[in-house]
Amino acid sequence: MPLFKKKSLAPVDHFGDTFKPQMTSLIDILTLLLVFLIQSFSAEGNLVTPSADLQLPLSSSKKPPKPSLMLELTNTGIIADGHQLADNKTFAAAGDLTVKNVYNWLIAQKTRLASTDADKKIILQCDKDLEFNIVKRIMYTCSKAGFTDFSVLVIEE
Amino acid sequence: MKTLSLSSKTFVPSDAMDAEIDIDVKPMMNVLVILIPFLVSVSEYTRLAIIDMSLPPNITSVGGQGSSEKPKVKLTVVLAPQYCTIVLGENILDSIARKSDDYSYDTLSTLLAKRRAALEIKDEVIVAPRDGIHFKYVVHVMDVCKKVGFEKINLASATENPNAGQ
Repeated sequence: MPLFKKKSLAPVDHFGDTFKPQMTSLIDILTLLLVFLIQSFSAEGNLVTPSADLQLPLSSSKKPPKPSLMLELTNTGIIADGHQLADNKTFAAAGDLTVKNVYNWLIAQKTRLASTDADKKIILQCDKDLEFNIVKRIMYTCSKAGFTDFSVLVIEE
Repeated sequence: MKTLSLSSKTFVPSDAMDAEIDIDVKPMMNVLVILIPFLVSVSEYTRLAIIDMSLPPNITSVGGQGSSEKPKVKLTVVLAPQYCTIVLGENILDSIARKSDDYSYDTLSTLLAKRRAALEIKDEVIVAPRDGIHFKYVVHVMDVCKKVGFEKINLASATENPNAGQ
């Protein structure tokens, strides 16, 4: 008796038949997916990109953001245009509320914006677990540099 | 293969019902396969929004532009680690103790609505958190204020000891 059964290489009869995959379930999934994607469709897209270093707080606000001057307030530092302007540890307990590097950056931006009609509002991207002490100091610095209107970026609930 | 004709007014013969109806799904699949990547690329899974706020007017322009008028007192919501109070001028109107991990926003909303009805300036409120308060609570309180009907929100800072400056 042979140990291994010889495999026949001859074509099997049913390969000649038409193979019909079951499409109903696939179409069901695709239809559900299509409905979900149409619901989350946005013609405008995101005009403002949130920073990856922070978690934005949730809010019931529906007002869409507009591109504007932006400061990112993370748990470790203040970031603008992808560059860290200040480390939170260096100014969190300082006697003066003004954050020097942020102030200098804001003054430079103010000069740049003076010749344009751009909105002179600042959008603050604050981490949800950031202490208000940091936010307060940044807002104070902004007001000293001449920016008194703010917007806080949030995730819509 | 037998096909069903919808245009014919005659009834379908009984033997045709038993026959396999072959629907060509290829065009539909093609459309879906093209449509889905497009929709995936333009979908928004997290919607961003903004909350407008400003600094209190007596901070940005002390005394206004040459005006000798005293700034009008506005309703202030003070957020402290253990409680939240509604203040008008120097009077503490209401105080809500913080429950476990969060503030009682429903109670705050009810009290704010009640106090707003008796106010002269109905559209403005000051939110004043203490230094250690996490920003998510500030945003939540601002939300409550917006829902109650305060259009303009001013963000200020509450001191640990209000009498220290006197």
